[in-house]
Amino acid sequence: MKDIAEQEVIDIGDMDVEAFNEFAAEQGWSDGMPLYVPTEEKVAKFVERVRGDNRPFPPVPPRQVVPTLQSLAANAVMAGCKPEYFPVVTAAMRGVLDPDYNLHGTLATTHSCAPMVMISGPARMELGVNCGSNCFGQGWRANATIGRALGLMLLNVAGAKPGEMDRSTQGNPAKFTFCFGENEEENPWTPYHVQRGFAPTDSVVTVMSGEGPHNLNDHGSTTGDGLLTTFAGGMANPGANTIYGKGPMFVIIGPEHAATLKRDGYTIESIREELWKRSRVHISRVSKENLETYTTTGHKPDGDWLTIGRDPSDIHITVAGGPGKHSAFVPSFGGTTVACVRIAT
Amino acid sequence: MRIVNPTFGVAAAGGDKVALKPINWATDAIALMSNSKPNARELLDGIRAKLGATRAVDNIDFHYKNSASQPAPKDLIEKVAANYRGALLAIAD
Repeated sequence: MKDIAEQEVIDIGDMDVEAFNEFAAEQGWSDGMPLYVPTEEKVAKFVERVRGDNRPFPPVPPRQVVPTLQSLAANAVMAGCKPEYFPVVTAAMRGVLDPDYNLHGTLATTHSCAPMVMISGPARMELGVNCGSNCFGQGWRANATIGRALGLMLLNVAGAKPGEMDRSTQGNPAKFTFCFGENEEENPWTPYHVQRGFAPTDSVVTVMSGEGPHNLNDHGSTTGDGLLTTFAGGMANPGANTIYGKGPMFVIIGPEHAATLKRDGYTIESIREELWKRSRVHISRVSKENLETYTTTGHKPDGDWLTIGRDPSDIHITVAGGPGKHSAFVPSFGGTTVACVRIAT
Repeated sequence: MRIVNPTFGVAAAGGDKVALKPINWATDAIALMSNSKPNARELLDGIRAKLGATRAVDNIDFHYKNSASQPAPKDLIEKVAANYRGALLAIAD
């Protein structure tokens, strides 16, 4: 008899859901929360949704196995996805497999990074993805399970087992799920996927290996200039990877903040420029030892200031959330990219 | 009940086997490879000093990646393979 790991279909005998969850936990398949049972029948319904997308998947690092649609779908079933979410989940998987995403590094690092999944375009509404109030939080099946499905794939297919291949010192709640939709309807500028060259009618998944969202609270500022001062202050963080890791980061602006910035004439480009200039970190906020390391590894301060990211284009801007005076900053792992993949329909 | 295995995958094609040549740790050239975390260099310094107690160290050299978060570039790997018989990797955080 073949080892379980070598069998695509396994006969587990008669098991109820509780017994299956015990079995799955013993196999190391669980993220700790209850799982749906990936029966052949359920998996087939998911696979049917992506039959038109025949592009093969590359080997998935660090485990370096080539997944099948069935094994990917099994993870989506276990996560609690609906079959119609599966094209989004496979697009997200293709995104993290972009070589510049650096999947091996982002999974094996001691850093807390987790895949941030953002959905743009018509699929948001078709699938009921929350783009408004509490969009990073609980309450929406699509947000909760699409992000969870990707996390389970990285655990089970990529082999990122906590404490073994996933060496994160503390982890991050976003490793359970971090999935939201752009609030394109209240974005006064260009939706993110259109900024990246897609058509407004395309549905696109964007992934970045990031920390969880850091809140940027500003109830007091009534001007765009004031808001950018607050945002930049929140971004200028000596403890993030942005100084020596460089790489991308997201500023996810709440609709009310976005309206103020738009009213005051700011564009995506001018917001990036201003934030990059204002979010520099003064060397007085950096330890002597770290400053020495930065200086000797190519991140020498510009005068008394250290920049975050390589240039303004590392700051990615979008709009999400509902009413209220809050925005969010999501710094990345550093050595990664923001990958966008069109959702196959 | 039959379920689909969520870990199933096919072994990637290729997987070239590398023929290892014997190394004489007492005399051969050795590369000390740092993952570019601050403490890796410290660890490698200590290893080089300890090796110095038993052998010459003028052919034991330090190398490091450009970034701790990125894989070593191909040209660096080729350079190490071409010039050294052994490599010690430090992944010290």
